[in-house]
Amino acid sequence: MIKSGRNGSVMYDPAGVTPVALIARTSWKASFKTDYIDVTCFGDVNKVKVPGLPDIAGSGDGFWDSTNVVLFAAASATTPGKLKLVPNTTEATFFASGLAYLSADIDVPVSGAPGVSFSWVAAGAFVWAP
Amino acid sequence: MPDSSDIDNALVAKLLADATLMLLTPDGVFLDEAGASMVTGGNATRFVIVSLVEEHDEAVFGRRAIEDALYLVEARLLSTTAGATANGKAAGARIDALLEDQPLTVAGYTWMTTHREARSTPRVEVDDADPTIRWYRRGGHYRVQHSL
Repeated sequence: MIKSGRNGSVMYDPAGVTPVALIARTSWKASFKTDYIDVTCFGDVNKVKVPGLPDIAGSGDGFWDSTNVVLFAAASATTPGKLKLVPNTTEATFFASGLAYLSADIDVPVSGAPGVSFSWVAAGAFVWAP
Repeated sequence: MPDSSDIDNALVAKLLADATLMLLTPDGVFLDEAGASMVTGGNATRFVIVSLVEEHDEAVFGRRAIEDALYLVEARLLSTTAGATANGKAAGARIDALLEDQPLTVAGYTWMTTHREARSTPRVEVDDADPTIRWYRRGGHYRVQHSL
């Protein structure tokens, strides 16, 4: 079922157990792109490739909210936390999750609300449910 | 969900509550369109107009997060009223003193900013109905942002 992104969610737990929602998020992205290994041989009529491992990473945006600075603590963490990405919380059983390292950026314009963006890379098995 | 119109009303109320501004523009502060003088009940000739020029909302996942409004806040004085030029200038300065970087408290919202983005123009306007009449205008476009 196609649903709006309005009810998306980014959840995180620095302890790597039970993620809770990071507030004031406005978008998230995840890439599950797999690298392919060239195994083309003499006589093949075209290039032949076999899949390697997916390189799983992503990013997201939102606003700075002083009541929740988990993202910046995560950016300096030396151990990965558990990241959970939900396309729509009205279908909360559909999500991607796993251990991840996060990085964070803040952008403070004089004319608007400070924006916070983040990027992440998988630090363990990162899988879709269901 | 708080009522966005309460932001408009709070802005008008803040200006109305200022005794100094009301000495300069005694006929009142109006939203969008001047009504009868709040003092005499007759035609308003020295007043402040507050108009919502544009507004947009910023969303976060699951809710509205920021209401970002641009208001025209302007003193308008009929040129034939006593001290119109000086009073218009003073009223514009008083509006700026009351609004620039000053909190605007509205129930259900957290104030973020109030600041002027531009002065209003023109400073003298020829009346549409009677070209012999001049209105002196002073004020500006004020950005008002609240988070929810």
